[in-house]
Amino acid sequence: MADLWYAILCVMLVGFAVLDGFTIGAGALHLLAARPGAERREVVAAIGPLWSWHEVWLIAAGGVLFVAFPKVLAASFAGYYLALMMLLWCLILRGMALEVGGHVDDPMWRTFWDAVLGLSSVVLAILLGAALGNVVRGVPLGPDGSFSMALFSNFRTTGNVGLLDWYTLSTAVFTLVALSAHGATYLAYRATGAVHERSVTFARALWAGVGALLPVITIESWVVRPDLFIGMAGRPLAWVAILLVIGGTAAVFTGIRTGAFGRATAGSAAFLAGLLGAAAVSVYPVLLYPTLPGGEALTVENASSGRYGLGVAIFWWPVAMAATLLYAWVVIRWYRGAGSREQGAGR
Amino acid sequence: MEDPAFWHRLQFAFTITYHYLFPQLTMGLAPLIVAWKWRGLKTGNPQYNDAARFWARILGLTYALGVVTGVPMEFQFGTNWAGFSRYAGGVIGQTLAMEGMFAFFLESAFIGALIYGEKKLGPRNHFLASIGVAVGSWLSGYFILTTNAFMQYPAGFAVGDDGALRLENVRAYLLNPWAWIQFAHNQVAALVTGSFVVAAVGAFYTLRGVHREQGGLYLRWGTTVALVASLLVAFPTGDQQAKMVARHQEVSLAAMEGRFESGPMAPITLIGQPNVAEKRLDNPIKLPGVLSFLAYGTFHSNVRGLDAFPQDVWPTDIPLLYYSFHVMAGLGSLFGLLMGLAFLQRLRGRLETSRPLLWALMLAFPFPYIANTAGWLTAELGRQPWLVFGLFRTENGISTVVSPGTTLFTLIGFAGLYLVMGLVYLYLIGREISQGPEAAHG
Repeated sequence: MADLWYAILCVMLVGFAVLDGFTIGAGALHLLAARPGAERREVVAAIGPLWSWHEVWLIAAGGVLFVAFPKVLAASFAGYYLALMMLLWCLILRGMALEVGGHVDDPMWRTFWDAVLGLSSVVLAILLGAALGNVVRGVPLGPDGSFSMALFSNFRTTGNVGLLDWYTLSTAVFTLVALSAHGATYLAYRATGAVHERSVTFARALWAGVGALLPVITIESWVVRPDLFIGMAGRPLAWVAILLVIGGTAAVFTGIRTGAFGRATAGSAAFLAGLLGAAAVSVYPVLLYPTLPGGEALTVENASSGRYGLGVAIFWWPVAMAATLLYAWVVIRWYRGAGSREQGAGR
Repeated sequence: MEDPAFWHRLQFAFTITYHYLFPQLTMGLAPLIVAWKWRGLKTGNPQYNDAARFWARILGLTYALGVVTGVPMEFQFGTNWAGFSRYAGGVIGQTLAMEGMFAFFLESAFIGALIYGEKKLGPRNHFLASIGVAVGSWLSGYFILTTNAFMQYPAGFAVGDDGALRLENVRAYLLNPWAWIQFAHNQVAALVTGSFVVAAVGAFYTLRGVHREQGGLYLRWGTTVALVASLLVAFPTGDQQAKMVARHQEVSLAAMEGRFESGPMAPITLIGQPNVAEKRLDNPIKLPGVLSFLAYGTFHSNVRGLDAFPQDVWPTDIPLLYYSFHVMAGLGSLFGLLMGLAFLQRLRGRLETSRPLLWALMLAFPFPYIANTAGWLTAELGRQPWLVFGLFRTENGISTVVSPGTTLFTLIGFAGLYLVMGLVYLYLIGREISQGPEAAHG
């Protein structure tokens, strides 16, 4: 049962990363990919209407963590206190920029909120990347199952670590590049004209960057946690995830080359999902890994809530998830149907 | 700085109070927008659609502020209240997760369609989108109030081997009687806020002599809904809520009323100052027997005072609790009077011409925010010194690894950010209102 909840938690987090990744990536890139004025409005229109629906995936993932692994929520949120507060503030600024930026038709007002959107998205990508690195590297758990961590300590990956060290900084940079590539691909798919052209150029360059950095990150992860890779070979799901990465990569490259940007976007989503899935499979069953000698890991087993509660939630969760996908399908269909009709009328 | 719990409490209180300024308007406006879309669909009168479109823009901005200030609330359970999350997460995690999964996904999927999609969607789907938003916002209210009801009156749980709580009976937890009453009381209070704001904008337009038709519509709908909601917020919902407190949180009732001594024929206090050091109420004006009657149904019932309880279970901020309760109840009564007056003037056909009344209606809109805030202060201060009433004390709930200085730092950060956001919000709302409903065309 707890294993199933680990899987659900990972699905929610992957959903957040892929969907909000579009928003973050496009937001981070739009200062470069779009000129002020109509072009930037096109970017915001591509990510705007559903940004809060994307962000809800994070809230729902938090809810799943709460219901299934309250001890992990307690330990990690308190331990990552300042990092999470920065994340919250960036989410606030990002949401404000998307929502109020378009409310006043004034160039300076728009320029200001465009800059807020761009900067908060870049910081969000870096923070999320560092968080991912922290999950792999581990945290300085004390004997009582809690920890507190500085923003940085000595930049080593063992002992009394901080949020940032050489490894988590690398994952942060990698995440920024990967999410920007993800956002560029999405913009190439959704935008037209000059924004489309520039997004294609950026997507090419950024995906080349992802291709160059991925081996580096893999080797670094090997250095930090060799045990992860040894266990991984024996887990079939890991192979599925790696296939997803390979398939996604292929779809991205062929999609961009042939101009099939819908396929490239789907490939990009598969790539991110596969990468995160591989990480999730390899760290299982450990949710918080200790970096201090004698620290005890928080695992799927010792950190989950009672069987009854998990059993109740397994009833309502699929219902809610199905309803969620239904809403999204309905709304997208409303927009689609109307969009083609409008275009037809315009010609 | 010596008491770390104080800073965690202050940050949570500040961020939740600020956050709730937005959802109370969202939840109050959403049903009105549904009603207007429905009337528009039925009658074909474009006035209703214009009203819905204008208020949907206001709703959209308010919703966005609600989302961005709401995410920190969920996070703070872990960041600032790790002890509480360890203790009760196995229970309250259920409703917090349900809120995200059932309510937020619904609301956030349709809000964009409601605000930007009128032309694309057509009237029927646009009406459905407004229902999606309204149901989502009210559902999230229910899940949050169930969570709060568990903290007020725990139900459906068991204590595990490790001392932490676990869920034992999901029905008892979700159908907690406290939750239903509190939900009813809170939702009509949100309707009070929404309808007062609508009436205030109507009064403003009418006084200015602009947007005549829309202004009149807002005035009529705003004052009618406000009258009904102001009556419902007192009776039966407020009355039932008070009886709930009298039954299950006797010590809180005593503190809310500044009642230091037990006895029958308990009076209700209209005015007075609680003096905790001397354990008495200074300069009171009281109505004898009324508290006994309201709490237990007869004038002779004994209502226990604070003297009946050991001091370590007294609410920690008795004066603030007392004043919050009286501000809420006093304002609630005034709301009924004001809207009753507006109704009388409407019957006489003078609603749109009585300038003093229009001024009063225009300037009245901040007070429901104050009353809602005071009501929540009453609920949460009345729960002290407990985080889960009778089970778990507040000071045990904090994140011990977060130092008071760190909390103060982030509190200041929130305060600064929220100040700027509030200014932006007021500027944009003011701009929408001054541009008027016609500008929302397009």
